[in-house]
Amino acid sequence: MKTQTQEDCSERYNISFNREDLSLFIHLSGHFGLKNLMVFKSDINREVSKQKLQSITIDFSEVCYLDSAAALAFIQIEKEAASKSIKCRLINLNDESKGIFSVIYEDALNQRPLKSLQYHDDFIRQVGQSSLDIARDFVNFVTFIGELLIALLYIIRHPKTLRGKDVLFYIQRAGVEGLPIVALIGALIGLIIAFMSFLQLKQVGANIYVPALVSFAMVRELGPIMTAILVAGRSGSAFAAEIGTMVVNEEVDALHTMGFDPIRFLAVPKVLATVIVVPILTIYADLFGIIGGMVIGVTSLDLTIKTYITQSIKTIQVFDIVTSLIKAAVFAALIASIGCQRGFQVRSGAQDVGKFTTSAVVAAIFMIVVADSIFAIMLYYIKQ
Amino acid sequence: MNIEEKTPIIVVKDLAARFGENVVFEGVSFKVYKGEVLVIVGASGCGKSTLLRIMIGLQKPYAGQVLYQGMDITRAEEKDLHQYWQNIGVLFQAGALFSSMTIKENIELPLQEYTDLDPVTINTIIKMKLGMVNLAGYENYHPSELSGGMKKRAGIARAMALDPRVLFFDELSAGLDPVTAAELDDLIIKTEEALGTTMVIVTHELESIYKIAHRVLMLDKEAKGIIAEGKPLELKERATDPRVKSFFLRKKPVTPEEQRFYVN
Repeated sequence: MKTQTQEDCSERYNISFNREDLSLFIHLSGHFGLKNLMVFKSDINREVSKQKLQSITIDFSEVCYLDSAAALAFIQIEKEAASKSIKCRLINLNDESKGIFSVIYEDALNQRPLKSLQYHDDFIRQVGQSSLDIARDFVNFVTFIGELLIALLYIIRHPKTLRGKDVLFYIQRAGVEGLPIVALIGALIGLIIAFMSFLQLKQVGANIYVPALVSFAMVRELGPIMTAILVAGRSGSAFAAEIGTMVVNEEVDALHTMGFDPIRFLAVPKVLATVIVVPILTIYADLFGIIGGMVIGVTSLDLTIKTYITQSIKTIQVFDIVTSLIKAAVFAALIASIGCQRGFQVRSGAQDVGKFTTSAVVAAIFMIVVADSIFAIMLYYIKQ
Repeated sequence: MNIEEKTPIIVVKDLAARFGENVVFEGVSFKVYKGEVLVIVGASGCGKSTLLRIMIGLQKPYAGQVLYQGMDITRAEEKDLHQYWQNIGVLFQAGALFSSMTIKENIELPLQEYTDLDPVTINTIIKMKLGMVNLAGYENYHPSELSGGMKKRAGIARAMALDPRVLFFDELSAGLDPVTAAELDDLIIKTEEALGTTMVIVTHELESIYKIAHRVLMLDKEAKGIIAEGKPLELKERATDPRVKSFFLRKKPVTPEEQRFYVN
């Protein structure tokens, strides 16, 4: 028996064929493995199919490396020969090669999959399934909001159970750390509105209305909605991923068994922090929007800073600011609760975490727009 | 098995690992011989897993070398490490099967990456590997649909996809019931005997150690290194070191305070 050290077995191989009447003698030497499987298999198959044969003998005496894939290939060659009623013999196998052949089970090769792969359902089924999913999702969300409210009520009655440190932590995460991006986006939006309206208004000589337009648009619509979308992207997704990973790691189950209500423990601090922080971020965004508009106002419209500011302030009423803040708080509650709810929906695996994180952001933005439309109609009637 | 006749496949020289200022172990040297089953044991926190990660090439040591056929994998370039990874297989603690893929796709991955086989051949090889680990027919299952023991076996099938020369197992029987653990031991023995694959295994299960280990290496947290090396039964019967004895007898070492009561 040959020892199989790396040194005396380079990755070369050689096959020699000897034909005597109707029998073929194949002599193998060298390395037979995954790397040269395709080549030696086709070499042998070509030789075998050349002319009619009665028997094949494969000599393994000089094989210095054989892996299980190669052994499998020889078994297949043997089987194929048998199907053409050619006798095939494998001879001079050393102990090591015999060992490899011994762990290849015919039954396993012929075993049909115990479960077939799931293919996509037909169109009608898919439509039905997604409708059911949407309905279930809605019920799930409403249930979650209910549980969240119960948890909140409990905390109002037992204020000591509130995890204050967590609330501060998420205020820091969702609020303070979000300031730069909110300011930047706010300023750019203000700049864009000022610039676009200036291009239109200068045709009728109504430059003086640019500050009014910018501040009105920022405070009434763009400030709250842009801030909410940013927070949904930054924090809503983070909440979903965080809780989702905790579900996967069985941390949520651990909370249950220790007698904690996971919603009170995990969701409430996040929702509270977001509701506190988003209105503040919104004011911040409004301010930077007006400053962004002012850059255009002062550089291109020949307005002084003082005029710009007085014009802006004249337009905004306290009512607008208050409604804008209420809107921001509602958006915040939506973002945080959807984020947490999606996190709790994770069942297993990394894939689920990704899926529900995405869904948290998409659903939050959708709900923000829906809520904003409702606000628009409500405010129209209230103001009348 | 006569170890003296065997050639070393992995040589660990003066290995040291640290976590920040914390010394995990120092001056660890040993050899892994071709075709043997080497079991690494030791209490939690003694650096078994760190040692394994360094030997696999996933972590850089503080000092020392790990030589695989003359190549120091602790200082190897990415390209050489990839070559090394094709020659070894690793079974992680929880199996580390990709949950988004079926068992078949999990095993398919290394075969597609490192060989130029056609899909039909790959498919047959997968069926063969599943047969070897006694999971024939399970190719279309997702890891989440399998039990813990099955996941481990599927992990072994994936680790063996490229017929590696060395297999590493982290916490082989962690979280498995005794019957399943015993089945896994049988699988290890069978694989080792049939394919002659070298195996390095981290485990705590005494029963498995007696069953599968050719040689045992014991690390200790306090000593920060290897405190015993040898055949499992010999260690059990002849070890004089109280730490080794207490491990193999499954007893807490006797403290000096308790010693007083044993005087007479």
